[in-house]
Amino acid sequence: MSTNVAPRMIELVHVERSFRRADGTDVKAVNDVSFVIPEGEFVCLVGPSGCGKSTLLQMLAGLLEPSDGDIVVGNKPVTGPGPDRGVVFQKDSVFPWMRVIDNVEYGLKCRGVPAAERREIAWTYLKHVGLSHVERAWPRELSGGMLKRVAIATVFANGGRVLMLDEPFGALDYVTRHQLQDVLLNLWNADGAGTRRTVIFVTHDVDEALSLADRIMVFRSGNKVDDIAVKVSRPRTTDSLLLPEMVEIKRKLLHHLGLDHAAGLDAVADEAVA
Amino acid sequence: MTTVTATVKAAPRRVRPLRLFAYGLAAALDPLRLAGLVVFALIWEGLSSVLSTIILPPPQNVVARLWTDFLDAPSLSYYGVANPNLYANLLYTAENVVIAVAIGAAIGIVAGLVSARFSLVRAIINPVMMTAGTVPILIAAPFLLIWFGVGRLSAVCLVIFYVTVILYLFAQRAASNVSPIYEEFARTLGASQRQIVVDLLIPATVPEILGGLRIALAGAWGLEAVSELLGSQEGMGKVLEVLAGATDSEGIMASLLLLGLVAIIVDAIAGWAVKRLASWNAGLSSERN
Ligand SMILES: Nc1ncnc2c1ncn2[C@@H]1O[C@H](COP(=O)(O)OP(=O)(O)OP(=O)(O)O)[C@@H](O)[C@H]1O
Ligand SMILES: [Mg+2]
Repeated sequence: MSTNVAPRMIELVHVERSFRRADGTDVKAVNDVSFVIPEGEFVCLVGPSGCGKSTLLQMLAGLLEPSDGDIVVGNKPVTGPGPDRGVVFQKDSVFPWMRVIDNVEYGLKCRGVPAAERREIAWTYLKHVGLSHVERAWPRELSGGMLKRVAIATVFANGGRVLMLDEPFGALDYVTRHQLQDVLLNLWNADGAGTRRTVIFVTHDVDEALSLADRIMVFRSGNKVDDIAVKVSRPRTTDSLLLPEMVEIKRKLLHHLGLDHAAGLDAVADEAVA
Repeated sequence: MTTVTATVKAAPRRVRPLRLFAYGLAAALDPLRLAGLVVFALIWEGLSSVLSTIILPPPQNVVARLWTDFLDAPSLSYYGVANPNLYANLLYTAENVVIAVAIGAAIGIVAGLVSARFSLVRAIINPVMMTAGTVPILIAAPFLLIWFGVGRLSAVCLVIFYVTVILYLFAQRAASNVSPIYEEFARTLGASQRQIVVDLLIPATVPEILGGLRIALAGAWGLEAVSELLGSQEGMGKVLEVLAGATDSEGIMASLLLLGLVAIIVDAIAGWAVKRLASWNAGLSSERN
């Protein structure tokens, strides 16, 4: 056993999922997907809308059963949801009837963590996402981006070893999005490389994937079509995206997304016209 | 010694209804409502000056009559009403309403929530409740009289039946309106089934259920009074029946006025409770701001 190989955290073997639509047609949302993710890795899933990313996360979370194949997380087959796998959903999931701080500590409360201790933990994560000033607010008083941050704080506070985030920053402005990317990376990296949690991060944004991921998996209509390691060292800046290695990966990603010529100058010209 | 402890214990209990009453009164006395009342009283006054007092007694007579009858209405005892005043009869009616609403709400809410969560239960209960919801409630009255006689039980059962159906429908709709995402999120956070019911299902449905309770409460007053018309020995319904027999328009209107006032105050208290218990919900809490 070599010491520098992290134990496998997530393993998918020939996983499939189909849906029957109301009109009777079958949709294969996830088609024969297999991969292994070692503990502590930061993985981004990219792919066009409707390619099955959310469906895959739901199966990993245990909220949806695969039609076929096996999913193992932390050496246990997934049979249902559990606090070892936190999910920041694509849709808003913050409970409107609990104050912000009560939302953040809810998972801890469910598992019987004493009140003072869980308040402390919740408060720490609320501070990390920059929301300590609204701890007593009702969710209806917050903006969409603030709600996303509450969800992120809730999931992090709950302490799962696997975190899944489904387009968490999709609805945010450029500045907030970059701030939250840093927050996420800091939370992930808080206690050094040995104790990192495993993160699966779904995004549409190629640059976001490049600046966050150790590894990028590309999906297209239910199939995993590529699996790219991003070895560029951290912390990454906007300049890191200009490294030849990064440009090469970006070109590959854009090719998968059907935007071959977009990486060149003509894309800039297009934008100027539009 | 026993009396001392009894009064000491009773004291804090008395405060709550009084405070609630004060809140209710404050809410009932908002300017727009008052303006409406004044207009209503003026029209009434105008009409009564044209019509004879038997058909429409003037408002000040009715108010004066309510004032005296409230504590002492000797004429009622001639007609066999057990307590010859409005106060005791109002209390009797109120007691029945409270009992019936408490029981009916408990059954209706539990049944509604359970049926929203379990499709098997829903398949069984839904048709019954839906049918019951479309039947005019007074149709059931003769059966209740046959089963339970003309006493208190019939009236209370009728109101329980009504409240149960309304709250079943409200609770069931409220629970089906809760987005499944909350339950999914809670399960990924590690919530048990019991925690999902206590921390999600109940708080999420409280605003809509309280709204239903308010509607049921308003209906329950009327229904209780109407069912007392059918052979009860006490209650506001009995009083109205007796006064109608004596063509005492003034007395009837005084009793109706009392019922109306109580209904307004009860509704205001219920509204205040909704606001307090569902302050997270902007739609409901801003309604009265
Ligand atoms: N409950 C469902 N019933 C029927 N079809 C479904 C259901 N859920 C997903 N699908 C279908 O499965 C496919 C994948 O959906 P999924 O939500 O996983 O896409 P996605 O990659 O997350 O897209 P986006 O980036 O837009 O969020 C889509 O074609 C969708 O229509
Ligand atoms: Mg999705």
